[in-house]
Amino acid sequence: MPRHLLTDFELMILLAVLRVGDEAYGVQIAREIEATSGRRVLLGAAYAALERLEKNSLVSSSVGDTTPQRGGRAKRIFQVTPRGLRAVRDTREALVAMWRDVPQLKEKLT
Amino acid sequence: MTRREPPRLALALLEHFAPDGTFLAGDLIEEYRHHPSRWRVWCEVLAAIARALRRQDDEIRPLHLVDLQPADAIARTRNAVLRPKPINLAASPIAGTGGLAIALLALVATLFMPGVWWLLGVALLAGIGLGVLLIALHRRTIG
Repeated sequence: MPRHLLTDFELMILLAVLRVGDEAYGVQIAREIEATSGRRVLLGAAYAALERLEKNSLVSSSVGDTTPQRGGRAKRIFQVTPRGLRAVRDTREALVAMWRDVPQLKEKLT
Repeated sequence: MTRREPPRLALALLEHFAPDGTFLAGDLIEEYRHHPSRWRVWCEVLAAIARALRRQDDEIRPLHLVDLQPADAIARTRNAVLRPKPINLAASPIAGTGGLAIALLALVATLFMPGVWWLLGVALLAGIGLGVLLIALHRRTIG
């Protein structure tokens, strides 16, 4: 099976979903990325990436409860699928492999 | 004082134009309570609508293949070419808003500039004249 390598934003989204856990929905995912990486995320952009990931079976989604804090609107809760987890690992391996044996980066790391 | 709710118009537009916009609308309401920025809400909504419209264009539409005889195909083509097309006399880019825009203009003129009614009358007559001219030209093209 060919390896599915993720873009940097897709990787961030998947990692944020994994970090948030069972209740990963739009706001939580965007906040997690902002808090961890400092990158400001448009909620719509996060949803667009999540839809793309869902189309590729890397995440699955379900409709959560409605709450008054959300004006009676439901949450869309995301979970990383086993295939998504494999894609994260593959991407990490590819990035680490690229990292290795680069003299400029080695100097900074040591 | 800051309002606790994001702009309703923005949310209504989002839920109308973007499929699954209701989830994003809920997120925006929740987020607005922590960071009340109307600017950010409008940015999110406009970006989501733009994405939704672009996605509609990207959809692959299946071809509707039908068993058509050559004579039927010729008749259909002739009908399509010769069928008179409606003329948008209000020159409105959105269907159905021409009359509303004229009514609104009349109201504004009555309330704030009643003196320009004569000008509107002349414009109306000119518009009707132009419409008649366009219809005449269109009929001549068909004939």
